Amino acid sequence: MVLAIRKYAFRLYCLTALLLSASRIVGQTIPADNTVAIIRANYLYQFANNSDWPSENKKGPFVVGIIGNTDVFDIMVAKYASKPIGSQLLTVIGANEVATAPHVHVLFVDRSKKAELAKYTRDLRGVSTLIVTNWEGALAQGAHVNFLSIDGSIRFEMNKTAMLESSITPGVKILQWAIQ
Amino acid sequence: MGNSINYRTSLGCLLAMLLCLFGHAQQLPITNEAARLCQQLQLDAALEKSTESLNDKMESADAYAWYVNGFVLKEIYKNREYGLRNSSLRTAAMKSFATSLEKKNAQQHLAMTRLAMKYLASTYYNDALQAAQSIAEGGEQEANALFVEFEKWMPLAEPGISMTGYKKEFTKSIGQRYFSLWQRDTDNSENRDKAIAQYEKILKLDSSDVDAYYNLSVIHYNQAVFMYRKINHETDLFDMMTIQEAAAKLIREKALPLMDKAYALAPEKGEVVHGKIILHRALDHEKDVEYFKNEITRLIREGKIKAEQQK
Repeated sequence: MVLAIRKYAFRLYCLTALLLSASRIVGQTIPADNTVAIIRANYLYQFANNSDWPSENKKGPFVVGIIGNTDVFDIMVAKYASKPIGSQLLTVIGANEVATAPHVHVLFVDRSKKAELAKYTRDLRGVSTLIVTNWEGALAQGAHVNFLSIDGSIRFEMNKTAMLESSITPGVKILQWAIQ
Repeated sequence: MGNSINYRTSLGCLLAMLLCLFGHAQQLPITNEAARLCQQLQLDAALEKSTESLNDKMESADAYAWYVNGFVLKEIYKNREYGLRNSSLRTAAMKSFATSLEKKNAQQHLAMTRLAMKYLASTYYNDALQAAQSIAEGGEQEANALFVEFEKWMPLAEPGISMTGYKKEFTKSIGQRYFSLWQRDTDNSENRDKAIAQYEKILKLDSSDVDAYYNLSVIHYNQAVFMYRKINHETDLFDMMTIQEAAAKLIREKALPLMDKAYALAPEKGEVVHGKIILHRALDHEKDVEYFKNEITRLIREGKIKAEQQK
């Protein structure tokens, strides 16, 4: 969201009114963009684009599921839905559809749904779903990739072994930028 | 509101003129005739007569003759050129009032002369603000010139008046205009830098101006947001991370410290607290976001801000 600079409501001043108005806070608009969500959404797209899934998962849509974060969901839909991932088109789904989807390639579980990670890791064991989270200690709880905040920048750590066990091969770019 | 005050001012001036007219009936016949014509709204005839009085050696030595001339010019300006930023009538009226103040008997008409000058000075100020709102790229000369006129006349109309508040408000107006121009073309940093310069100028006038800190913070934050907005499916991972680093640095090192200053000065201003939420959210400071959200809730509960400011 963009902050708005306080608006100096334009007035035809009479001098008295002007002096009275001196203490009023006016300004410009702050944009409403959720910039962290913009970054996380782009990372999800980068993970999708720069990793390799088994051949049986390269048919139909490329599905990205978003759990517990409407800003990330909305940005994914607005900016990345229908974009090609190899020969597949990216589709974004929410929590309700995740439960019934035949296959989810990338699943983002927001920290607001931290408690649900255990269920997803259990349900998706042996399935090629890249589980991405955003809280400290999530890799130990079964996530493949976890977002971290460093000086206000979003970076990520990854469990390469867990990814390979799920038959997802991270690309060079992903490996290169992951925090070791 | 402005109109009613202006109307009362004119009415008061007319009344004063009539009272003066009686007192000067014997000494200043031409000026008095001009005042009478003005009262009857025969403004062109009044101006002609008044100009004639100024050519009379005896009458032109009297402050009242210049006051009446200024008053007639002012009335014509109000009727025909109000809003015309380069009105020569207004300039001429001011000069006549100023000349009136220089005359030996200026004291007799001082209050009314100053009142009339104050009215005209305020029109310069209004016009300066209007000009500031219509600044095209590259030009704020007209607005500045009008404000210079206001700065020149207002202390004569009201000796001892502090001009700082007006200067700040005018500078904010120009800053807002440059900000708007920048919003229309965010790739052009010239207008952004000009907006920043205006708000920094305000802080030199008053280092405790909450608006200036807030607005400077918002400019830097917006600059970061415009960078984030460019990230899309065509952005390479390396480029995305480079953009992110630069934008986060801008928020962390520029926007947030400025918002902190605004907050230190006005911790219960809804917009400032909201600004803190947005900036901390942009830096993924989860605990700070929660803290300031709770602050907003408290301020609403205590009736210090309205609920819509939470949005």
